[in-house]
Amino acid sequence: MKIVENLFPELCNIFGESSSPAYLARCSDEIDLRQTNHKTVPAFVTEDVDMVYLGCSPESKQEQIIEVLRPYLGRIRELIEKGTIFLVTGNAVEIFGREIRDGDRVIPALGLFDFYSVRYMDRERHNSQYIAAFATEAGETITLLGHRSQFSFSYGDFSREPLASVELGIGMNPDTKYEGLRRNHFFGTYSLGPYLIMNPLFTKYLLRLMGLDDSLCYEREAMKAYEYRRDELRRTLH
Amino acid sequence: MIRFYIALWAAKLVDAILTLRGDRQNDRAGYIANRLCPDFMARVTKPKLVVAITGTNGKTTTSTLVCNMLRSKGKKVSFNEWGANINAGYSINLLRCVDIFNRCRVDASVLEADENSTCEGMPMIRPDYMVVTNICKDSLRRNGHPEYIFDRINRAFAALGGRTVAILNANDPISSELARNTGARRVFFGMDDIHADPLENRVKDVAVCPRCGGEIRYHYRHYRHIGDFYCTDCDFATPAMDYRASGVDLDKGTITVAERDGAATYPLMSDTVFYAFNTLSAVALFRELGYSRQEIADFLATQKVPKIRESVVEYDGIRYYAYAAKGQNISAASTVFEHLAKDPSVKELVFSLDEVQDANHPPETLSWLYETDYEFLNVPQIRKIIVGGHMCHAHRLRLLLAGVPEEKIVCVENEADVPQYVDTEGIDRVYVLYEIDFVTKGQQIRDAIVERAREVKGK
Repeated sequence: MKIVENLFPELCNIFGESSSPAYLARCSDEIDLRQTNHKTVPAFVTEDVDMVYLGCSPESKQEQIIEVLRPYLGRIRELIEKGTIFLVTGNAVEIFGREIRDGDRVIPALGLFDFYSVRYMDRERHNSQYIAAFATEAGETITLLGHRSQFSFSYGDFSREPLASVELGIGMNPDTKYEGLRRNHFFGTYSLGPYLIMNPLFTKYLLRLMGLDDSLCYEREAMKAYEYRRDELRRTLH
Repeated sequence: MIRFYIALWAAKLVDAILTLRGDRQNDRAGYIANRLCPDFMARVTKPKLVVAITGTNGKTTTSTLVCNMLRSKGKKVSFNEWGANINAGYSINLLRCVDIFNRCRVDASVLEADENSTCEGMPMIRPDYMVVTNICKDSLRRNGHPEYIFDRINRAFAALGGRTVAILNANDPISSELARNTGARRVFFGMDDIHADPLENRVKDVAVCPRCGGEIRYHYRHYRHIGDFYCTDCDFATPAMDYRASGVDLDKGTITVAERDGAATYPLMSDTVFYAFNTLSAVALFRELGYSRQEIADFLATQKVPKIRESVVEYDGIRYYAYAAKGQNISAASTVFEHLAKDPSVKELVFSLDEVQDANHPPETLSWLYETDYEFLNVPQIRKIIVGGHMCHAHRLRLLLAGVPEEKIVCVENEADVPQYVDTEGIDRVYVLYEIDFVTKGQQIRDAIVERAREVKGK
């Protein structure tokens, strides 16, 4: 069995994020999906899990999560180096940067990646979509679709470890086309919601990475929805 | 001051022109007033009574009740009944309260207030009362998440201090925390257990205790996160109620509200728990305003559910509904789904929930589909679900993942083709669920379905 750990779904499922690991588990009988409450020790601390998922949370909970994870920083670093899959979506990517700035406050983050984030809580919420290119180790290019809705942006040199290169839309901030974070099999994106349902080709890639058959649950319908949306975004995004 | 008067006169002129053109439900004059004088709302003379009603769900119904009550008592009331509930709407409302010399000529202003904009407008308006119906999950794009909305409304209360009475829902673990330590008098309304037996929602409006992060549990729930709650780790719990619905009979259409010095039974205008809450919040306000229980009961007996939410046509023994479902508003859409699931009639559903404008702009997010309880629709009495529009493939996948059998789902990209897929044989009802901003479109689809049923029968 492959262990997929969904971290803190009680805090990090504000836009249907838990649908992603749940969908993954429906794709394969060989996945053991664990749900970890923020008041308990994560499974990845004591077990060699195959994948860790962390979704989007309210801003105040983001700070709480940083402190919950901080004691396990060394273990997280070790797992990333070992090639364990991490999928981190929405504002959860900010947790892995250096710090989050909120007005005069500076919230130290986990510091695994060299960038910082800035919250603009008094500005209009930023909503946008993206189409981006993700390259697999095998040289295949997967078109990723993303949707962001956020009060913050991240700044730094994202050219070194980007998840994907944005074709249409914005990257980690309005001035970059680099979207997300990637180190070994750590994948982070600002996109929120049911990312794996929205991106069936990426889901197939993750299943293959785990050594599983890459057939998807309702694959035909998932691909139809994906292709329709991709074409619609190409037609309407500027 | 000169700037204010220029803004007042310019806005008055624009409002008069628009009114002469028959376009009174237009808040452009309010927009102009704010542009010319950014603190217009602070400077304009207010009536003796200003009431703001905000919250995720129920504010239109509640504010309409409040306006109707005041008018029934002979008060002159300024009210934006067409739902202009952000800054321009506040300003047109207040503009119509005064003459060109900024002299107030009405008795009251009733402001339906978008919850996201309260922290900008309310500190200038300084209402006497602010009713908060609830805070629930809403559209991601418009309102982010409930904690963000809580913060926006709470900032308004913090700025208002003791000036404004907060009328709050004791059964809501989110909004019942508003106006704490602000100096405001807090008045709570709530409801005893009515055995509503709500279904469990897949995505929670509030997942953990806002004070300590502990688990929130319920002695009972009315719907979603609204109920008698407590935290397992601290003393956070349903606050004491000033206006407690001790008896609610949805079948008979009555609600009994207990206060410190007595109780009274009032008529309800609908058989849903949501309208019971709307009525309860209005009763709390009316009592605070000094109206007698009898006056309130007499008034409520005259009220009906606004037509915008649902309209029905009956033909050949089948009821055809056009039913507002607020796509992207997770709590509202899930609530409608729950209502349909619990309704025992055999029915077919038509989804027309896409935001029409999104068809030609970057498509809307998928996230609301996975926060909304499509699982509720997997019941035998829902015989078919026809999903129309540019999001139809996404809806189809969502329904499949919710367990709805493949053969029950019909996906139609062109909504004009929807009527031909409705099969009226052996069913009691057809529901066309439409996005609330597109009432006409929803009714047109419904009417086309009825028309086709007539044609089929004629053959």
